[in-house]
Amino acid sequence: MRHFLKSRKCRMISSVMYPVLFGVIIFVLWETQILHSIMNTSTDVLPVPSKIASVIGENITKLMGNLWITTVPTLIGLAVGSALGYAVAVIASIFTKWGGGGITLVSCFNAVPIVALAPIFNNLCKHVSTDIGTRGMAAKALVVMMLCMASMSINAFRGLTELPPFSTDMMKSYASSKRVTFVKLRLPNSVPYIFTALRVSVPISVISALVSEYFIDTREGSATFCPGLGRMIRDTILKCQYSAAWSYIAIACLLGITLFVVLMIFESVMLKNRQKQ
Amino acid sequence: MKKKNAKKVLALMTAALMASASFVGCSGDTSSSASSDASTSAESKTAKLMAAAEGAVGNWGLGNEYEIQALLRKYGYDTSYISQAFDMDGFDTDEILLASAMTYNELGLVKNSYDGGYNYGDTVSVIDMNEEGVAMLEDMLFCTKDFAEKNPETVKAFVYASMKGWAYACANTKEAAEICYKYGSSVSPDHQAYMADESAKLVSTDMSGNTVDSSAYGSIDKNAVQQTLDLCKKYMVLDDSTAADKLKNMTTEDVYNDTFIKDVIELLNSNETPSFKPEKKEVSIQLKWLPDAQFMGYYVALDKGYYKEVGLDVKDSDIVPGGGDVGETTAVSNGTVDFGVTWVSNLISANASGMDLVEVAQVFQRSGLVLVYKNEWAASNGVD
Amino acid sequence: MRKKHKFPPKWLVTSVWIIGFLLLWEFGAFLVENNPKIQNPEYILPHMWQIFASFFDTNLTTATQTPFQVVLEACGATLSRAGIGFLIGLSAGFILALLMNLSHIVEKVAFPYLMLIQVIPILGLAPIILALTGDIGISRMVIAAILTFYPVSANTLAGFKSVSTEQKQLMFNYAAKIPVTYWKLMFPTCIPYFFTGLKTAAPMAITASILVDTLQGDGGLGCALSQSLKHNTTIYVFWEIVIAAAAVGIFSFYLMGMIENMVSPLQRINRKLKRGDKG
Repeated sequence: MRHFLKSRKCRMISSVMYPVLFGVIIFVLWETQILHSIMNTSTDVLPVPSKIASVIGENITKLMGNLWITTVPTLIGLAVGSALGYAVAVIASIFTKWGGGGITLVSCFNAVPIVALAPIFNNLCKHVSTDIGTRGMAAKALVVMMLCMASMSINAFRGLTELPPFSTDMMKSYASSKRVTFVKLRLPNSVPYIFTALRVSVPISVISALVSEYFIDTREGSATFCPGLGRMIRDTILKCQYSAAWSYIAIACLLGITLFVVLMIFESVMLKNRQKQ
Repeated sequence: MKKKNAKKVLALMTAALMASASFVGCSGDTSSSASSDASTSAESKTAKLMAAAEGAVGNWGLGNEYEIQALLRKYGYDTSYISQAFDMDGFDTDEILLASAMTYNELGLVKNSYDGGYNYGDTVSVIDMNEEGVAMLEDMLFCTKDFAEKNPETVKAFVYASMKGWAYACANTKEAAEICYKYGSSVSPDHQAYMADESAKLVSTDMSGNTVDSSAYGSIDKNAVQQTLDLCKKYMVLDDSTAADKLKNMTTEDVYNDTFIKDVIELLNSNETPSFKPEKKEVSIQLKWLPDAQFMGYYVALDKGYYKEVGLDVKDSDIVPGGGDVGETTAVSNGTVDFGVTWVSNLISANASGMDLVEVAQVFQRSGLVLVYKNEWAASNGVD
Repeated sequence: MRKKHKFPPKWLVTSVWIIGFLLLWEFGAFLVENNPKIQNPEYILPHMWQIFASFFDTNLTTATQTPFQVVLEACGATLSRAGIGFLIGLSAGFILALLMNLSHIVEKVAFPYLMLIQVIPILGLAPIILALTGDIGISRMVIAAILTFYPVSANTLAGFKSVSTEQKQLMFNYAAKIPVTYWKLMFPTCIPYFFTGLKTAAPMAITASILVDTLQGDGGLGCALSQSLKHNTTIYVFWEIVIAAAAVGIFSFYLMGMIENMVSPLQRINRKLKRGDKG
């Protein structure tokens, strides 16, 4: 027993150690510019990590301002889109025969590339508000919402309809009403599928917010207005300010990773009891 | 903490010094005091327009905004602007009241009725950056310093052939437009012809409105570069402090090298056919924008075989269209292409961040950027 | 399950939904058209029939091509480039999954980074990848490959893990060598998982390719799209591309399904059974 514990601990440590070691090696190669000679680039385009860190330190308030501008529509779009997607799935699951076709149609929205969606929503939102910031936020949130809605509705529909074998028959033998079946069987069954959907939509929401910023109206050019991380990445790259560009990229990656980690924690808490069973 | 403050004060002082220096420089340039009356009336008109359009001035950003910011600051406004898409829809729908436009491209779309145009005709007017004294130099030819040092004959040959192409194109804009249309089909033939005419005007007129003789096309005017650099120092916001410091200490020598163009002009004016010994024969060039008559000189040089004449091997595919997300500055710096066409301000920001690029010929002698507005709107705000 | 007389049939459901969607679109277009504030309705939401009519427009929008020809040529360019990136990402993803299954160290090192790649907004970083590689063709492949890489390797690994210990022990009892075990047992088992990954990755590779196209003028759907938005060609090129891009994405999804049907042993058996029924 003791040995077992020991070996398990050992495995735990090694499973953390190996990737960390790998990461450290990459960082060292990067910092010492060996990576540059391998990839055949210069420090102009790929600044060393310490340089990026110092640029982040210098501009932390500006970075945070832009982070805020990107995060707000990402979260709104993610929340509203997922909620709507789930609602669509519920409606579709009530009318299973007709609903399935609707879900297929919604899944087609996923195939429209973000680059095409962003200009469409930007144009649609032209008359939403006179304030350009609000308008941009709305357009961005709509793009994010659209994509999140698609992935949520597809997955939730599966969760609501693909039930364990004989479970519906069992509910029927209990003479339970449709509503009870829904609350006691379908709803709980769909919970893991919700997380599957979110695991897809969290990275997608960040990506679509960043990319749609390329196309969306904003106000820029002074310290008081932040156009968003995606726009700043594009702007700094076009101006050859690669160290600044990397600082925005680092923050954007951090946003993606943070949202994902939060989701993972949430998922492990929510599904804890399930795994025990 | 104290050190930081001291640094800030120092930075402020140097900025103030530079601002005053550039102010003195500017006033020195405008020596024609006779026209000051006219310019003040023009300025009061612009001031009225700027006041009426407060918060609705548009620009594309991404390195094209400094002239607009200088104009905003000149009339006492915040330097922010609305991000303008690469069309004139915002202007059309009155969302942007003073919209940025290049004389040779967007202005044509606004005025004309051909495919893609908005058909405003003469019902729109413009604020010209050159007249406002906030003009910056735009399209020019550049390469890396290293390339210029190692391949001086290639650079000279390329500049020679290109400027010969530009001279021909400016003298025969219609033919030049047709040639461009043949190589790059990104715009309609009507618009291409318009672009060729307007581009020729920028090549043959300088910032103060004087005609540039065809024998001096491509020459680099130190004062104009200085004005561009000064405006960059004022309005370019660089997040990286190393780059910001580098920009602060930049001089015109870090921007251009006019030995090539001087030699080329001399050769073009002598009647003998020059012979070059290019070190590198296969060269390529990346344009700043989609293939069109803004770059007609290079297409004409290709089509008429000027590059071949000087012993260079330039194929169709060696003239690479731009207009994308990676600047021509990066493409030249990392060796994807040998030459590039860009704005002087883009080269300055690239050099500030550590690249080593050098301008070898100034193709457009004045700024092609204008702010376009509807006359009707101007009249309703008391400007005729 | 019980077989009931199926009503409504699938084709009816699908067509009703498509008609419903078109009606909704037309309603939106009608609203946009009759909004006095909007001067150019075709830039916001044109009628569906206008878009379809533009497919048959014979007016040249560039030097030599009608709108539809522009879209068709761009489509070909995008598809071929996305295809190469997709194949690279697919092979790399599969090989990594194989290595991860063969070696615990590789799995331990690579798995967290695999998760990380998925979370990093690669598409948003397209410009920097273009700056790093300096070549639009290479960066298009790199991005398409990275996007393909994650779903393929994650799903394939899950496929390998799904092989039960009993099955593996059986192979062991047959004294089968490792390559034989993989060929006879592991690969066939993971095929459905592998194709699940492909089905996710194929539309993504196409989206990535379109996005990279917009970054530099070098042909392809994205390039044609941005030129249309810049008023260099008619706006209907943009709308045609929206439809074409969606169609291509969906097609790529179904194409993967079709290939799976051809390759998968399970499906082959099903087909044989069906044929047997008939014969």
